Amino acid sequence: MASFYIALLFLAVGFLLVGLTVLFSRLLHPRINYPEKNLTYECGIIPEGESWIKFNSRFYVIALIFLIFDVEILFLFPWAVVFEELGLLAFVEMFIFIVILLVGLAYVWVKGDLDWIKPRPELAHLPKEKGK
Amino acid sequence: MNNLESLQFFIPELFLTAGLLVTIIVELLLKKEQKVFTAYLAATVLLITIFFLIRQYAIEPAALFGGMVVIDPMAVFFKILTAVSTLIIVFFSIPSFRVKAEYYVLLLATTLGMMLMAQVNDLLMIILAMELVGLVSYVLAGYRRSDPKSGEASLKYILFGAASTGIMAFGFSYIYGLTGQTNLFEIQQALQSTQHNPVILFVAFVLIIAGLGYKIAMVPFHFWLPDVYEGAPTPVTAFFSVGPKAAGMAVLIRFIISIVAGVSADGQTFTANAPIHAQELLAVLAVLTMTLGNLSALQQKNIKRMMAYSSIAHAGYMLMALAVFTSQSVEAVMFYLVVYMFMNFGAFWVIHRMTPHLGSEEITAYTGLGYRAPLVAVAMGVFMFSLTGLPPLAGFIGKFYLFAAVIKAEWYILAVLGVLNSVVSLYYYAYVTKVMFLNRGDDESAVSISSYDTALLLVFLIPTLVLGVYWVPVISWATQSLHFFLG
Amino acid sequence: MIQLNTFLIISAIVFSTGIFTILYKKNVIGILMGVELILNSVNLNFISFAKYSDAQINGQMIAIFIMILAAAEAAIALAIILNIYRDRAMVDVTLIDEMKN
Repeated sequence: MASFYIALLFLAVGFLLVGLTVLFSRLLHPRINYPEKNLTYECGIIPEGESWIKFNSRFYVIALIFLIFDVEILFLFPWAVVFEELGLLAFVEMFIFIVILLVGLAYVWVKGDLDWIKPRPELAHLPKEKGK
Repeated sequence: MNNLESLQFFIPELFLTAGLLVTIIVELLLKKEQKVFTAYLAATVLLITIFFLIRQYAIEPAALFGGMVVIDPMAVFFKILTAVSTLIIVFFSIPSFRVKAEYYVLLLATTLGMMLMAQVNDLLMIILAMELVGLVSYVLAGYRRSDPKSGEASLKYILFGAASTGIMAFGFSYIYGLTGQTNLFEIQQALQSTQHNPVILFVAFVLIIAGLGYKIAMVPFHFWLPDVYEGAPTPVTAFFSVGPKAAGMAVLIRFIISIVAGVSADGQTFTANAPIHAQELLAVLAVLTMTLGNLSALQQKNIKRMMAYSSIAHAGYMLMALAVFTSQSVEAVMFYLVVYMFMNFGAFWVIHRMTPHLGSEEITAYTGLGYRAPLVAVAMGVFMFSLTGLPPLAGFIGKFYLFAAVIKAEWYILAVLGVLNSVVSLYYYAYVTKVMFLNRGDDESAVSISSYDTALLLVFLIPTLVLGVYWVPVISWATQSLHFFLG
Repeated sequence: MIQLNTFLIISAIVFSTGIFTILYKKNVIGILMGVELILNSVNLNFISFAKYSDAQINGQMIAIFIMILAAAEAAIALAIILNIYRDRAMVDVTLIDEMKN
């Protein structure tokens, strides 16, 4: 139980420190508002438009691909911990697992979902360039 | 058995996985106009897999991979059934998905999942196999990206699917908490040796039935089905109506013979593991499923939607037989699935090939089809009457075995309700036949069908007719396969 | 020492929250969050049972697999939602009903 009280004390001190800092800055700082001050801070550049904009859907595709390949790491950690006891068989099994993942990666790559700049799709309703 | 020794009994699955990867790579190398080759490659892979599967009958029942999966004749039966249904679907899809190579890869991946579902023996494996089938099915349902209906179908499918899998997994976690085991047979022993709280067991059972029931479209977990069947491309709808449903039945049978009840060594008597009234619950759900399916099918104007509700009703008939827990009922369900595969695929094939000619999926569009395309209309009539269960067609024999199993177990009320439902179903199946033959439409031009269409139509029509008079080989195949691995 | 029951109660609360989220949210993303809540409650159950029962590691193993399933499911669901959003510029399930009779 003693360690629990230490944790509680730690928590209390944490809240107290943050609270005090906020309180002092409230008391001390001058309140002068002007439009530039209320702007979103973007490294000194004047921001354009709202922050609620539509992102390019390519971001989502890349994020989804990242998600799929990222979680497979979860299998590698327990495997790495017990690898020495399991020996060669475990190595071969994990090798096959990675190869299957690589096929998936190759598929995504060839299909062009990893290219940041895609060729412009040829849509029927767009006017063709002259001379072609 | 350890992992290395198990591999020799896992050849069909390994081959299918390798074939799947090769198909992906081949797809990347081919030019667009050559891509129909991947369909033939997928068909070849499936054929060789079925060949390996038939050889598995010689193997003594055993548990593989440390008890994760089992191999026994029942698993082999369901593996062959699902692989054959996918093989048929590959040919079913070639006219509409000629250059869509990924489609065939997805079909192969689903087959792998269904084959795993047929032999699960661990809570983890049940979740994984069902999710493998589920995740690929969601993509298949939305395969026509330009069609908003298709997108809607896949959205509804994934929302219901994800939720019901989660609920089922929650039920599994309670079973694991009560028994401390994840292997189905160790759970069975733990349930038989010690008395557990029946309330918690009942709650877990209901939660798990929610997940399994979603897969086989049991009321009240059927809401996704009509929309998915209507919105998905027709070959995909046909695929969903047989393969995944058979695999879901396989998991349900495994679940019943291990967790809900224990089976004697000769496979004849089933004794309940815990007093949780599983049979009564399943019987009530079965009656609800078939009644709701049939009554809703009566009101449908779209033929794909009507077939969707009819497939709910058929799930109800099979569930009715399973609820009585006898080896005979399991055998009847296995036989019925074989029959159902032919007649249902046949009906969907007619719908699929006729929709472009008729211009719509409304039942009224079939008016006068008997005069425009006699062979197709006669075949459709046969499929409809077989689905109703009229003699001398295959559907009658299938239903006969189902009802015989129920009556032999002395569940008379259940059987009577089942028969009443069949009578109701006659109305909407016969209506399709009536508009095809007794009415004449405005357009009387003959509909030309290609020889490929006719050939595939005969593949479905001949078994539907023949199995109605000579069904002994199939029923003896089911009887032989009625041999479980029992721990 | 925290009792097993504490974990079970928390996971039951998370599970019910997930179910309610699925039933009452109209936005598809909200429903997916409900599904994630359900899967997390399952994980919590499995891990706490594995910890408090006699040294069975199976529960923790299942939890790892369920995490990966959740990720795969989310990826596919988001891809499908993205596809629908391109068509209709909204993801409200009460308005996505092309097929009602």
